[in-house]
Amino acid sequence: MEVLGDIFNLALIAATLRTTAPILLVALGGTFTTKAGIFNIGLEGQMLIAAFFAVLGSIWTSSAIGGVLIGMMAAMIFAGTFSLLVVTLRANEVVVGLALNILAGGLTISLTKAIFGTRGSIVNPDIVGFAPVNIPIIDDIPGLDRVLSGYTPLVYLAFILVFVVWIIFYRTRLGLHIRVTGEKPEAAEALGINPNTMQHIASLMCGALAGIAGAHLSLGYITMFAENMSAGRGFMAVAVLIFSNGDPVKVLLGCLLFGFSDAMALRLQTFGFPSYLVLTVPYIVTLAALFMLTYRQRPKIIRETLESMSLVRRQEP
Amino acid sequence: MSDHQGFRPTPSFGAPMTNAIEMRGVSKRFGPVIANDDVSFAVKKGEIHAIVGENGAGKTTLMNILFGLYHPDTGEIIINGEKVEVDSPRRAISLGLGMVHQHFKLVPSLTAADNVFLGIEKTRNGLIDHAAQIAQTREFSEKFGLSVDPEAIVANLSVGIEQRIEILKVLVRGAEVVILDEPTAVLTPQESRELFRTLRGFTDQGMTVIFISHHLSEVMAVSDTVTVLRDGKVVGTRPTAELGEDDLVRMMVGRNVSFSRRKRPRTDGERILSLKSIWARDNRGLPALQDVSFDVHGGEIVGIVGVDGNGQTELAEVISGLRHVSHGEIVLHGQKIQDGDPRLVRHAGLAHVPADRLHRGVDKADTISGNILMGRQDEAPWSSRGVINWRYVRERTEELIKRFDIRANGSRTLVKTLSGGNMQKVVLAREFSRAMPFLLVDQPTRGVDIGAMEGIHDEIMRQRNEGAAVLLISVQLDEIMTLADRILVMFAGTIAGEVDADTATEDEIGMLMAGRNLSAAAAPTVNEAS
Repeated sequence: MEVLGDIFNLALIAATLRTTAPILLVALGGTFTTKAGIFNIGLEGQMLIAAFFAVLGSIWTSSAIGGVLIGMMAAMIFAGTFSLLVVTLRANEVVVGLALNILAGGLTISLTKAIFGTRGSIVNPDIVGFAPVNIPIIDDIPGLDRVLSGYTPLVYLAFILVFVVWIIFYRTRLGLHIRVTGEKPEAAEALGINPNTMQHIASLMCGALAGIAGAHLSLGYITMFAENMSAGRGFMAVAVLIFSNGDPVKVLLGCLLFGFSDAMALRLQTFGFPSYLVLTVPYIVTLAALFMLTYRQRPKIIRETLESMSLVRRQEP
Repeated sequence: MSDHQGFRPTPSFGAPMTNAIEMRGVSKRFGPVIANDDVSFAVKKGEIHAIVGENGAGKTTLMNILFGLYHPDTGEIIINGEKVEVDSPRRAISLGLGMVHQHFKLVPSLTAADNVFLGIEKTRNGLIDHAAQIAQTREFSEKFGLSVDPEAIVANLSVGIEQRIEILKVLVRGAEVVILDEPTAVLTPQESRELFRTLRGFTDQGMTVIFISHHLSEVMAVSDTVTVLRDGKVVGTRPTAELGEDDLVRMMVGRNVSFSRRKRPRTDGERILSLKSIWARDNRGLPALQDVSFDVHGGEIVGIVGVDGNGQTELAEVISGLRHVSHGEIVLHGQKIQDGDPRLVRHAGLAHVPADRLHRGVDKADTISGNILMGRQDEAPWSSRGVINWRYVRERTEELIKRFDIRANGSRTLVKTLSGGNMQKVVLAREFSRAMPFLLVDQPTRGVDIGAMEGIHDEIMRQRNEGAAVLLISVQLDEIMTLADRILVMFAGTIAGEVDADTATEDEIGMLMAGRNLSAAAAPTVNEAS
């Protein structure tokens, strides 16, 4: 019991929220492309390139916000390239997404070497990161202070964005048109909505949020850039997007699951438990959810009964 | 039918009748195909005007031109007495036209009201004003008698209600003339009746309705005027009251069906295929076949005719194992096949020439020999121990290319480079060379030129004379009259009647196709053989 108490405590909740934030940011970006009907496997690369340029931007502008904006721009350039190739030129979305992911990996390594002359990581005293923010009233409530206060600003932003994205999808024309584009492009077209334009807009919005996610990695709790620092979070987001179908609330739940197992894994390591097993849980949940979804949609065979046959006969005009 | 006459407005000849729509000399070609050939007709304001014709007669093309989806090669469109250019659907809508397409364009995850206002959303402070959209949808649905719950999610609604939403979309955009493409094709009989009441309500409010149909009974029951199209040309525009259903069939199918019946030896074969009380549902789960029973014997061609969409497609699919029956038994060559898959059915003795040649008949991207091999890749001597004997495949293919007169440059020719007629001969060559006891031949000469048609008819006759049982499905009445020994007429998913091909007249068949029973004395029993 004592061990369980050591594992499940308030610090675990705080750790979960912290590890959830970057996945949530990038997954919320992915909701735009998912809703617009694009399978976007390039989230990982957009996040990584943003993490790099956020560090660079932070040094150039000597401000964390400046770093975020430059990181977002870098990710949006990637997102624009992605949608140019996929939407306008009709290239295969998986191939383009993977290519941009590989490009992001290589480019960040080369630029690190070229600009900083180092390999592996950029550690520099000129990088300005975000300081944790304490919320005054909550800080006075014991217990809550450890769960709801003391995060960096982008963590709060991530959770606020769940609501913002929900409003965009379900209460604005832009969101409605993006959803219609993904669900029934021919309906959109027939009613004067240009599906291609919608997909470009969705891709750029995705890039913007993936950019914030990347900046959070390099300017949030640690102020450094490391090779491949996105560490598969973009792919976790893809998994969340597949079973949530881009719904922001389900995305939040899915990301919390990934964040929780991440936090659990870290914790269990100290108890000698194989953390990799814990890390597999969200993926198993994704597979199970997908299986259930498709199983419900399988075609059914109809058999007539005496009743159904006489019903049809009575309907004859 | 007479009960519907009551609510038809009496034409007042004294008042000036304005035409809501007039099309003059409209022609449209798609490559070598002439879809509309010098079409002229007029629709009076306030009437229900039916456009009738067989599949491929050019009805939908004509309406798409009117709605600005296609640009005519020649001809003009006059709306309310003024000559107009309809160059886009947007323009058509601004001219007061509205079109309900055959395939609905609704978004399943949205509510009815969201769908109605999609593209013309009402907003307040930058956010969509759902309450206003719901209120206005409700208002329109009450005004026009189109009962729809504005807040219902479309995915949960029946096709009939989906159609009402499509009509509401058109009305909210201010349509005065409502065009409906095959509106009843997806509806149950009750839903159809309700739709027609609604449409009559439109004309009572001074609106005009144009609808495309090939269901003759509903055209008779509902329309004020009928325009019949055949092969892209207007056969005539008549007041419905002056026409009988058999007149319509004659206009649709053509007065002078030209055919020369093939001479044939008498044959007396055993029963090869037997359908016993077959029921099946279509893709929407609606009844498509109802209690269909018949037999086909060796050495005879049984022809199935009917206006397209009366169950012929589903009949071919259940026999070939492509669709599950919902009830009944099919016996092919002594083997029950109704729960089988296509592979089992083919082994039991089916050779199948499918109606949809490009999707089910051939692999366009493969060579002729690859297509000839298809389906027997497991059989010796086509293959042995899992390895295909290409030399044998090619030899047999060259042989078949000669025998079936396929105009191609050898067995390695890609099928997609062949003409429609030669593609069909590849299918025929593969299927007929299997020497199966039963042949299911569906629309064998659709889109095939006259020369190739003769050859295909020769092959079908030869198979019959060699003792095969043939079930021939065709919308071409003359083809059936040329080849069949017995003719079964399908109507509304049932066998409406059987006639002897030697003595049958077009009138007799036309009446059955229109859903009218022959007099009891003349009608033979359908189940005679069982």
